[in-house]
Amino acid sequence: MSQPAVRIGAVLNALARAPARQCLRPMSTARSSPARRPMASCLSHGPAQARQPLVQRRFKYKTVEEAKSRYRSGPFSWKAGLLFVTTAAGLLWYFEREKGRMQQKRIAEAAKGVGRPKVGGPFELLDQDGNVMTEQNLRGRYSLVYFGFSHCPDICPEELDKMARMFDLVEAELPGALAPVFVTCDPARDTPKVLKEYLSEFHPKFIGLTGTYDQIKAMCKTYRVYFSTPQTVAPGQDYLVDHSIYFYLMDPEGDFVEALGRQHSPDQAAKIIIDHMKEWKPSVIRQ
Amino acid sequence: MGILGLFQSESDKRASEIRAGAVVPTRAERKRCWEARDSYFACLDASSIVDPLKDEKKAAKACAHESTQFERDCATQWVTYFKKWRVQDIQKKARLKELEAQGANKLDVETDFTARK
Repeated sequence: MSQPAVRIGAVLNALARAPARQCLRPMSTARSSPARRPMASCLSHGPAQARQPLVQRRFKYKTVEEAKSRYRSGPFSWKAGLLFVTTAAGLLWYFEREKGRMQQKRIAEAAKGVGRPKVGGPFELLDQDGNVMTEQNLRGRYSLVYFGFSHCPDICPEELDKMARMFDLVEAELPGALAPVFVTCDPARDTPKVLKEYLSEFHPKFIGLTGTYDQIKAMCKTYRVYFSTPQTVAPGQDYLVDHSIYFYLMDPEGDFVEALGRQHSPDQAAKIIIDHMKEWKPSVIRQ
Repeated sequence: MGILGLFQSESDKRASEIRAGAVVPTRAERKRCWEARDSYFACLDASSIVDPLKDEKKAAKACAHESTQFERDCATQWVTYFKKWRVQDIQKKARLKELEAQGANKLDVETDFTARK
């Protein structure tokens, strides 16, 4: 803070001692004076000139000792050190804060479904009453999609019982928010009538979907379901079908949310579904 | 036999349809099949037979009664499936035991027939 005073003193000194010399080199000493009055410093010694840095930096030390001490310590002083440490701490704090913020944003975006796996899509199948059903009929509510077949020996019936319990638990909390869908992998034998009878033993609200061999094959493909149904079977021949045993949770816009497996109990699965439902926002709002 | 005879033949017809896989078993019919399967497997366990398809003669001798019931109450396809499943399940359990002895981490996956409550 003492520098301006020092400078003013030095300037006045210099002006008093060598005014002619200053007039010979106006550009080097009065660099910032207005261009329209380049010779102002020679014409008048008013107070405006006193503020101009008329002397170069190397003359700012009053004594040789001062200059020497400055030279010895170099650019380092306790002030410089304090400034350095403060700046470093500030930058560190800022970067740490930004890092945390970005991480939070990334997690939030991942939960919102950026980079969501491409599971599900358009379909056209028949429900258990023989009515045409497409993916549009499932819009506006969550759907829980399960693939199986009515002649399934063990896993499907168990999983369908589980699905019924899951559905009841979700229905108790959020009525009408979930559509339980069963898609057959065995369209040759699982006609709408067979499905209707089969599913009525599990839950009256289950939606059973069937179709032609090609329709079902396409459906399994969009849901990435392993499909091993034989295309041509001799009449009366019995066979089993291999299939994936996941529940696919789809959101009200038909996007895949999560796959629920055998490791989830109905209570756990219902909780997961309800949590997703409560967090859901339409993609228009999400973006 | 009268009405009883008629009823008998009806249920016989249904049972043979189930065995052939022509109709879908109801919940009660599935339950009956699973019970027959479980008692057949229990018998095999008692006679320490792992694969009833491989040790056919031994299995037929040791568990003749259970086998007849199993084949009567389940679809033929299911019988074969369950027998194969049994072998795989026993092998898998043995392998898991082996891995556990080696200090492997157990994942929370259920593969047996009992549904979780």
